[in-house]
Amino acid sequence: MKKIALLLALLLAVSVCFMGCTTGNNVTGTDKVADVDYVKGNGKLIVGITDFAPMDYKDADGNWIGFDADMAKAFAKYLGVEAEFVEINWDNKAMELETKAIDVVWNGMTITDEVKGLMGVGTAYCKNMQVVVMKADKVNDYKTIDSLKDLDFAVENGSAGAAALDALSIKYTAVDTQAKALMEVKSGSVDACVIDLLMAGAMTGEGTSYADLAAGIAVTDEEEEYGVGFRKNSDLIDEFNKFWTASLADGSVETTAQKYNIAKNIIK
Amino acid sequence: MELTNGMVMGASLSDTLANMWNAIANSSFFEVTLRLFEGLFTTVELFVLTLLFSLPLGLIICFGSRCKFTPLRYVVKTIVWIVRGSPLMLQILVVYYGPGLLFGWDLLPRFTAALVTFVINYACYFSEIYRGGIQSIPRGQYEAGQVLGMTKWQVFSKVVLLQLIKRIVPPMGNEFITLVKDTALVRVISVYEIIWMGESFIKKGMMWPLFYTAVFYLVFNGLLTLALGYFEKKLDYFKS
Repeated sequence: MKKIALLLALLLAVSVCFMGCTTGNNVTGTDKVADVDYVKGNGKLIVGITDFAPMDYKDADGNWIGFDADMAKAFAKYLGVEAEFVEINWDNKAMELETKAIDVVWNGMTITDEVKGLMGVGTAYCKNMQVVVMKADKVNDYKTIDSLKDLDFAVENGSAGAAALDALSIKYTAVDTQAKALMEVKSGSVDACVIDLLMAGAMTGEGTSYADLAAGIAVTDEEEEYGVGFRKNSDLIDEFNKFWTASLADGSVETTAQKYNIAKNIIK
Repeated sequence: MELTNGMVMGASLSDTLANMWNAIANSSFFEVTLRLFEGLFTTVELFVLTLLFSLPLGLIICFGSRCKFTPLRYVVKTIVWIVRGSPLMLQILVVYYGPGLLFGWDLLPRFTAALVTFVINYACYFSEIYRGGIQSIPRGQYEAGQVLGMTKWQVFSKVVLLQLIKRIVPPMGNEFITLVKDTALVRVISVYEIIWMGESFIKKGMMWPLFYTAVFYLVFNGLLTLALGYFEKKLDYFKS
């Protein structure tokens, strides 16, 4: 009996500890977070990315390139620091930011309400849509939203594509990356997946990694926009917006976008 | 005639070998293997360092859980309960992100955070194996040692320990092999181990590298099993 009491007391102590921990950390208010000084003090801007052509991917020598990677390097230069790229687990992006494991999420991130709740977002810079991808020989048979209802889907967990399918009340299997969703289609475990238009353009069709897959119709009417994510209330957001306006004005955004063949998607 | 024939054959053989080598060196198979070895290095590093620290720490935890001082015993047992009772993947996330999320502290480097989690986790499992080993030694041996005027430590280090090691090798081997495979979990905090490397090829449209990683695990665990068998044989100093 005594032992049980002791055990219960310990349990209580542990749980109180945990509760104490969780209540102490909510930083609220509108004070600016002095991230610019923090980044300059570190001498580097740590950019959280995933391997996502044409935004962030590796060239033959293993260097990160892509529209986002190149612009991130330019932004780091504008701040007078080096850009350091860290390939993160996309599910953990908010935690990575908040704990300062990274300073910015710059990886073709669709701006959703969920994203806006988790982080501060700079000016939208690129337009995007969610499209269906399936085996190239079948894609022409599915031209309407209604025709999709009987298909098995795979889609990245928590992505804009998942939200689009939810809105259409189409069931799907959630996987952890868009690339895995493509793999599901290629392996035949599902009929189709929903991914970003830009990614579908870079990764499917002839001459790409997934030559036997093709992009079909869009699953949303409204266009989405890509944004760069920062810590909430970070003063880096203002710096980024200034940098972006200047880069649009001097044509460097346009040049970089043409290099990666996405110029028509850029928001001017 | 035969001689020239032989020479021709020799030349064509070396040509074929050279061609084969070129084909291999330029193939995606070669590139993938290199990348996976990169990941394997991280996996092996994590494995070795985890054992290095968790084996002694496990013994300390084991003593703690057998301590006569009741509060300490309960604290240790609670820690063991939490560590063994919650998913390792969650523990990795807590150790890496926890300090930053809860207190705003600087984070540990990713690999270090993974290592700390593994050391604590495996030390707790090892402590229970040690405890089982210690308790399997008949009480009479302690009493005999006492009668002969040996101190408690002398009885443990000179009498119990040798028998203990022999008895715990098979369950320890089990844990070692599980540890090799558990290292795959550290990719949740972006430590680039072998499965991460395998998965990164999915983006290039190659699925086989992910499954090919299994070969690396099988070879690693095969060697480990051989080493454990050898070690067990070496410990055959007395019949138990």
